[in-house]
Amino acid sequence: MQMQLADEERARLEREVAYYRREYDEIGARLLRLQEEQSRVAREARRSKTVAKLVREAYRLIGADVEPHAIGRLILATIADTAVCDCAVFLRVEPARPDHFMVEHTLGAVKSSSMLLSAPPDFLFTSTSHSAAPQSASMTGLLEVPYVLWAYDQSHGRALLLGNRVESNIHRAFEAGDRELVEVALGVYIDVLMRKVAEAALRQAKLVAEQANTVRAQFLATLSHEFRSPLEAVIGFSELLMNQGGQTPSAEQRAEYVHQILDSGRRLLALVKDILDFSRFETLVPLLQVNWVPLVQLLQNAVRGLAAEAAARRVSLEVIQPPERWQIAVDYERFRQILSNLIGNALKFTAPAGAIVVAARIMDDAAVEISVADNGVGIAPQDLDRVLEPFIQLANLNGRRVSGAGLGLPIAKQLVEAHGGTLRIASIVGNGTTVTVSLPTGTARLPAPES
Amino acid sequence: MTGAVRTAYASNQNIMAAASECRAQIGRANPDLVLAFVGGRHDPASALAALRGTFPDVTLAGGSAAGAIATAGLGYTGFELGLIAFHGAEVTPQVISTGALLEGEEAAGRSLGREVRDHTDDGAAVLLLFDSVASTSPLRLHPASQLMAGFQAGLNDRALHVIGGGLLTDINISDGWMFVDDDVRKHAMTALVFPAGITASTAILHGCRPVSSFMQITRIEGAEVLELNGEPALTVIERMLGLELGTTSGQELSLVATLGQKQGDPFAPYDENNYVNRLILHANPARGSITLFEPDFAVGTRVQIMSRDNVLMLESVERGVVELSRRTVADNCLFALYIDCAGRASVMSGAPTEEAELVLQTLAPIFPFMGFYSGVEIAPFAGDYSRPLDWTGVLSVFQRAP
Repeated sequence: MQMQLADEERARLEREVAYYRREYDEIGARLLRLQEEQSRVAREARRSKTVAKLVREAYRLIGADVEPHAIGRLILATIADTAVCDCAVFLRVEPARPDHFMVEHTLGAVKSSSMLLSAPPDFLFTSTSHSAAPQSASMTGLLEVPYVLWAYDQSHGRALLLGNRVESNIHRAFEAGDRELVEVALGVYIDVLMRKVAEAALRQAKLVAEQANTVRAQFLATLSHEFRSPLEAVIGFSELLMNQGGQTPSAEQRAEYVHQILDSGRRLLALVKDILDFSRFETLVPLLQVNWVPLVQLLQNAVRGLAAEAAARRVSLEVIQPPERWQIAVDYERFRQILSNLIGNALKFTAPAGAIVVAARIMDDAAVEISVADNGVGIAPQDLDRVLEPFIQLANLNGRRVSGAGLGLPIAKQLVEAHGGTLRIASIVGNGTTVTVSLPTGTARLPAPES
Repeated sequence: MTGAVRTAYASNQNIMAAASECRAQIGRANPDLVLAFVGGRHDPASALAALRGTFPDVTLAGGSAAGAIATAGLGYTGFELGLIAFHGAEVTPQVISTGALLEGEEAAGRSLGREVRDHTDDGAAVLLLFDSVASTSPLRLHPASQLMAGFQAGLNDRALHVIGGGLLTDINISDGWMFVDDDVRKHAMTALVFPAGITASTAILHGCRPVSSFMQITRIEGAEVLELNGEPALTVIERMLGLELGTTSGQELSLVATLGQKQGDPFAPYDENNYVNRLILHANPARGSITLFEPDFAVGTRVQIMSRDNVLMLESVERGVVELSRRTVADNCLFALYIDCAGRASVMSGAPTEEAELVLQTLAPIFPFMGFYSGVEIAPFAGDYSRPLDWTGVLSVFQRAP
């Protein structure tokens, strides 16, 4: 009887344990699901905060002193911080090729700097539970990850692409509901970028306007000075010739006065010619008459034109030319003008007893290099670029005043470039300056003997 | 008292700029050793070059981290840089490394343990750091349990205070790497052996509770649990989660549930400190199996399915940190190190607040503090030798011996 009771009690206890175990497991399972659901909601809430954070970041960037090119990187950092993805890129459509997307900014590694994508969709995502659109192959290929989320703004030609390597707890699968997130992120980027681009353009325009004002003021100051001196000379010597000083000039004085008036007139003419050349340069370029010109003749004529002035300044002027009778393809008059400007400029800044060497070299590929080197005052490194700007006088840079509108080097540079060449300046203060003109491959030839 | 420890934190997409920011925080004096935790989005070679350029002629240790935690900020974007700079022989740990994990974790651990034994006395504090990821495809971790079994065997009877963490490049366990011998290395492990005058006190912060009755592992191969109570392990987990059976694969179970092994009396009241948890690395629907982070369970091991509990996690942080503060004297504290399982970050756990922030708020350190997000944590468990743990935070305060 007692044994039967004990067995019944044991069976009851076993049933009770099984009951508690079953209920415990069931409650545990519910707790587990509840916990996971709570975590999922919290993670979703965190993702939805991304939009708010992006908007806040947009306001911060608008107010901050950030250059347009830095915007993409900063927005991507915000996306990474909140959306937490493995990689993200901003892309831009190449205007001439609507199927060619260039990578502008990246977070994480990408396979290539560009992506070919025809018929780009506004929105796209890939996941294990969603069949992939054909365009996704380019995107997964670019990021080298299987899961991507894409938004494209056709009007601005810009796109945002996010990528994940796995679909896990932290990187849950992309879905249609992510459209708002990715489109807001792209929209914020475009809005801030456009605003910053407009601000930068405004700043640039202001800078250009200020520079133009400065140049105009400089131009007027230079011109008024350059015109006034010879005009005053013309008027002054003319008055002397007209006997307005009360004394009748002698024949010798009259000759000197006429010479001075003529010299001033020529300076005025040269000045006007320079200004006209510079002002209508763009219309001159198509009018270049390029012919095969003997190099020796070109060099010697250019030097000859300034030999007298060099002698007067007691500056030696030497020409080093190749032994062969090379011809070069240039507009004779314009190229002579280049050389005259360079030699004239060297003369201005070379002290008596100094030397100027004009040297020409023909390269193996029939390119041409002509240099004008002096041992004059030289140019400080920080002024090397400025001397190629119009109306900047070398004299001002080196604390010495010389005549001229400061157009010699800018005109020479533009004419060289019109010939397809380049002009570069090397200089050491106190040691002198070398200006080198390089003309492209095939500019030189050796004429056939009978020619 | 001489010697000093300083910490620095920066988050910058440009590693050179991040290194410079940290250098400015650490000061002009050159440290003897820099322990670095580098966000995984930084290129390792560039990180090495940046740190080498910023700290010339300074020994460099550490490696990748899924994120960094400091009083100045915390994050896991992959662009963080956290540094601990040691100045002076009195506080600077000796660095002993091995790069042989791939040839066998247990043998590498044993060899490192032997070397550490030769350089220590009982009670010394040792920080172990290792590259967590053995292979990325398929994903396989360097099992910390084997590594620690070897290390303990190598130590023989030496009783040390060993803490440590597995290094990752990101929370998704994509990769890991380390600085060893002025180079970037995979499959490496480093022991930082502190001088005799430095001791460490550690608190393990938990956050899981059992949600099932005891189950027995009836079939297991390494870290792959095939059966629980004679049923496919994945089926058991999926049924508990209310998922459609056979639909789970990949990493999506990671951290949803863990398997916990209760130490001591199985019927003693619940105590978080009695559980060793193992995270699920991935599931295999074809085999009905789940693969754990560690292969240290066997047939017959009694386990319970555990649920992450964010409220419990935050309570555990407050409880553990307060208790640790009680055991330490702030004036003697050199620095604190927090090795935080990446799964505890709010982006992963879904916790309403960052538990690492709560650690900082509760500890309110008046001494340097640095933490990093890890793949696995190592700490002295239940007053016994150190063992690897999952889903824990290991907070250690390093002090000068009184």
